[in-house]
Amino acid sequence: MAEMLSPLHTKAVPGRYGAAGNAGVTLSTRPIANLWQIAGWQGFGDAAAPVLAALGLTDGGSYRRSEQSGEVTAWRIAPDKILIEGAGDLSAHTSDDLVTLDLGHARAAITLSGPAARDLLMQLSAVDCTPSAFGLGEFMQTGIHHVGVLIQCTGPDNFDVLVPGTWAETVWEVLHDNALPHGLNIDEAA
Amino acid sequence: MIRINCPVCGLRNETEFTYGADANVQRPEMGEEDTQPWVDYVFNRENPRGWHREYWHHAQGCRQWLVLERNTLTHEIGSCQLARGVEA
Repeated sequence: MAEMLSPLHTKAVPGRYGAAGNAGVTLSTRPIANLWQIAGWQGFGDAAAPVLAALGLTDGGSYRRSEQSGEVTAWRIAPDKILIEGAGDLSAHTSDDLVTLDLGHARAAITLSGPAARDLLMQLSAVDCTPSAFGLGEFMQTGIHHVGVLIQCTGPDNFDVLVPGTWAETVWEVLHDNALPHGLNIDEAA
Repeated sequence: MIRINCPVCGLRNETEFTYGADANVQRPEMGEEDTQPWVDYVFNRENPRGWHREYWHHAQGCRQWLVLERNTLTHEIGSCQLARGVEA
C-alpha cells in the first residue's frame, strides 16, 4: 500500500515561533487512518445499523457528539451521512441502500492544543468554543477562513481539525499566523 | 447579525450559510401548455415586505439545504427545517 504523504509535510516545521514566553498554542499534524464516509437515502438508519454494529458502534453518535469504539471514531455529519475513521476498508459494505466512499486521501488532520487553543478557534470561526459549549468528545462542522472544517474536541484544550486536503495549507497558514501572538509551538507530526 | 438554528448543527452565524432561492416557487405541471405559468416560474418573483420562505444552504456546516422563514423587513428568523422534510 502506498504511503500517504500529508499535504502539510512541507508546512509543519517543528520549532518555537511568535511571542516569547510560554507557548499558548501547539500545532501539529497527524496521519489520517482510513477515513470513510457511509451515506444513503431514506432508510439510512436501517442500512447503516449493521455496519455500525460490526464496528462495535451503536448509532454513530449525535450531530454534536462523536462515538468512539476502540480505535474507531464515528461522526454523524448529516441525517444520512456518517464519517468513520480507523475502521479499515469499508467498501465491502456497499449495497443498493448504502454508499461507501474512501476519504482518506481527501482530508488532512491538524492537531491544535494549548491554553490559547480555544481563543484561537473562536477568533477564526463563528462558533462558541468555550469549555461549557464545546466539551470533550463533541465536534462541530464550521468554517475557518471560508473553508469547511470538522473540529473534534479531544481534550480540555485539545482539538483535531479535519480539513479538505486541497485547502489544508491555507487553513494551516491561517492557524499558524493567528497563533503567533499567543506564542506558537509546532510539534513533530504524530 | 442573523443567526440561524440549523436542525443539524444548532444555532449558527449567518456567515456559515448561503442564500439559495425563493422557496415559494412551484414548478407548473409538466403538461402545462400556457406560457404564462412558465414565465412566472422562471422569471417572476414576489418581493414581500415581511415574512418570506427561502432556501438556504449550510455551506460551512452540515451542507444541508434548509427552508427557513425570514422577515425581509426586520431580518427576524422564524422556523428552519431541512428542505427534504418540507413539501415544495
